[in-house]
Amino acid sequence: MGIKKVGAKPQTLVEKIFFLDFIKGLKTTIKHLWKKVITVDFPYEVVTPPIRFRGIHGLRTVDGTENPEFDSWVKRLKIKPPEPGETRCIACKFCQAACPVPELFDIQSEKLDVPEDHPHYGLKVMTVFNMDLSKCTFCGLCTQACPTDCIIMTDIYDLSSYTRKSWVLDKDVLTQIANDFVARRGKEKFDEKSAWREDQKLWPEYDKTRERLWDFNMPRLGPNYQDQTA
Amino acid sequence: MAWISLEKAKKLEERFGYPKVSEGKGVVSVEVPKDKFIEFLTFLKEDPEYQFKMFIDLTIIDHGEKEDPRFQGVVILFSPKNQERIIVKTWAENETLPTLTNLWKGAKWAEREAWDMFGIKFEGHENLVRMLLWETYPYHPLRKDFPLEGIKDTELPSLNESLRGENLEGLFNYDRMHTALPTMEDLEITQKKRMPAKTSQIVLNWGPLHPGTHGTIWFLFDLDGEYVKQCDIIIGQLHRGVEKLGENVNWQQFIPYTDRMDYIAAINENHAYVLAAEKMLGIEVPEKAKWIRTMMAELSRINSHLLWLGTYALDLGALTMFLYTFREREKIMDIIEGITGARFTINYFRIGGVFADLPYGALDAIEHLIKDLPQRINDYETLLTRNRIWLSRNKDVCVITEEDVYQYGLTGAVARGSGVPYDVRKIDKYDAYGEVEFDIPVGEKGDSYDRYLVRMEEMRQSIRIIQQCIAKLRKMSKNDPYFFQTPDEKKLKVTIDGRGMKLPAGETYASSDNPRGELGFYIYNKKDGLKAHRMRIRSGAFYNLQVFTKAIIGRPIADAITLLSTIDPVVGETDR
Repeated sequence: MGIKKVGAKPQTLVEKIFFLDFIKGLKTTIKHLWKKVITVDFPYEVVTPPIRFRGIHGLRTVDGTENPEFDSWVKRLKIKPPEPGETRCIACKFCQAACPVPELFDIQSEKLDVPEDHPHYGLKVMTVFNMDLSKCTFCGLCTQACPTDCIIMTDIYDLSSYTRKSWVLDKDVLTQIANDFVARRGKEKFDEKSAWREDQKLWPEYDKTRERLWDFNMPRLGPNYQDQTA
Repeated sequence: MAWISLEKAKKLEERFGYPKVSEGKGVVSVEVPKDKFIEFLTFLKEDPEYQFKMFIDLTIIDHGEKEDPRFQGVVILFSPKNQERIIVKTWAENETLPTLTNLWKGAKWAEREAWDMFGIKFEGHENLVRMLLWETYPYHPLRKDFPLEGIKDTELPSLNESLRGENLEGLFNYDRMHTALPTMEDLEITQKKRMPAKTSQIVLNWGPLHPGTHGTIWFLFDLDGEYVKQCDIIIGQLHRGVEKLGENVNWQQFIPYTDRMDYIAAINENHAYVLAAEKMLGIEVPEKAKWIRTMMAELSRINSHLLWLGTYALDLGALTMFLYTFREREKIMDIIEGITGARFTINYFRIGGVFADLPYGALDAIEHLIKDLPQRINDYETLLTRNRIWLSRNKDVCVITEEDVYQYGLTGAVARGSGVPYDVRKIDKYDAYGEVEFDIPVGEKGDSYDRYLVRMEEMRQSIRIIQQCIAKLRKMSKNDPYFFQTPDEKKLKVTIDGRGMKLPAGETYASSDNPRGELGFYIYNKKDGLKAHRMRIRSGAFYNLQVFTKAIIGRPIADAITLLSTIDPVVGETDR
């Protein structure tokens, strides 16, 4: 078992008389005097969050990139088959079951009011999907529980508002957030079957503000594993 | 694993007759009758063959109202000579237990906490007052009959929005009735009870909202001139009942709550918890997950130590240090954010591995960072280590002896600074720690300066571990699993989101070496369940903070800052 002793060495007389300890310290300070500013002037400049960032939630809509099990889930839960542009939510409440604070969700579904001979007779639609984000811990467990990749987390992080009421997002707002996000950065995050892409980058490389945090000396991102390609 | 062997425990059974040895999930526990409890523990502590002289933890299990006796005391001990642990249990008949404070001084706070949370009286305890809650609080919240949401007996209308008055609907309508809150009188009573006999002229209050305490800790100093004669600490301002929550949420869902205990090193908190749960399940996580977890835990350790160094130097007057360390820290946070999706409350580890593989370029960024870091650490050292002001503020200040380490159950850098090479990474060899090479830095004297040097060296050792992890991960394939794949879903279900995951009946204790000491999780399950019956969190910061009350005695008040900084508690973890 490797044990390494660390201990104090007393100051030598030379160090004491000539103030070598202070001079050495000053050298470090002076070295830093000529460096460029590394802080970001928020909110005039912003760092783009990484693609895995866990920000405000969104509800994705049907756009042809659903996972292979989507149709069977719709059938199993007796949900009206959604048209393109409608929500993917099947009101299964798996997100609520996986959530550490389940009371933040309010999910309801209703049977469609159609005559008996209608093809959608007896099927349900999701009608209410409220999320109280003031209770959310942004842990991301709901997104991992979702069988249809409907609930996602976007890169939006500024949640502040004047009233607590505006922290409760309903299904229209959540859908809008997800649509915006998918249009903006969907290709970066999801593959053609809505799963996480394998080659998600650590950071978006088009973001030039991040360079500043790294003393203008950014690492070049390459493959992690020996059989990984860009 | 570092537990006493079953045969050795059986020998105890033969020798005394009354102990009942049982095997938990990777742990060995001994049950003794209450009247023989102290005798048995004294034997364990003093017998040259066993020498369980280090106190790790004391807690209570509530078996439910119907059981008689209802409460069970659990003591975890460690033997530095044999490098093994043991659990000793006894039934608390008539809701009392004999005190352990004559054997281990560190039991003082643990017993106060047990009284606070379960209402167990410890006979012979010198001042059995509440630990986390205020003195006039009427309930014992960790009892099974206390509801999770508390007993709502106080009206607190101000939480409702004044604009809408009573007419709020749905999710954002807050109840007007709340759980009990302390008033000013309650706090005064609490303060008086905590330090019943004042010996000197002045009692100085430091905190609870002082910037030097780095959180909400309330110190009471009994001062004679400049020198401290007596000291007590009132904690609990950040008490959120994490243990109670752990008994009421599912296994994976508890991980976000552990993030919020020691928020400076959230990854290490997650690590200890998932280790305990995996030990309970009896599963091995995939190789890749092991190495990723080891690497992330060490990154988090550097992150935590950089924050410690910056604020410590800031407290002692070296402001620049704070700015330098935060620059490096920002880079680490940036990498962690890219890998896990969050900077602070990370929630990356899962029972069974990690929730996602490393993103493209992660290893390059970490490599880039640690290439630069040793030079930065040298920079910090030239600023501080030989500086004469730094030396005179730290050398020979608040010495913690080796005996204190065993008595108070000190762990982490505080124990290592006092010359005890206690490191759970070496003892338990969890995850990939058995396969990486690193040294344990130990100090000579146990003063603040040693603790500083130990933490500086720990950062260098962490860099060494990360280098080995990167080299190992580079050789792996992108298709290697990062999450446990169950051979039979019906028998053993392990999921990333945690729905439907059950842990078997039994008990276990597992710990990890947190930057602040040993963080242990003691889990007790009566039957297979979605939730724990008892989730005890052994917080390193809690026990380390306890030695403050001893080490500060006889020192001038200015040393309180130095001592507190070198102990480095995080209030989220001390209070839980």
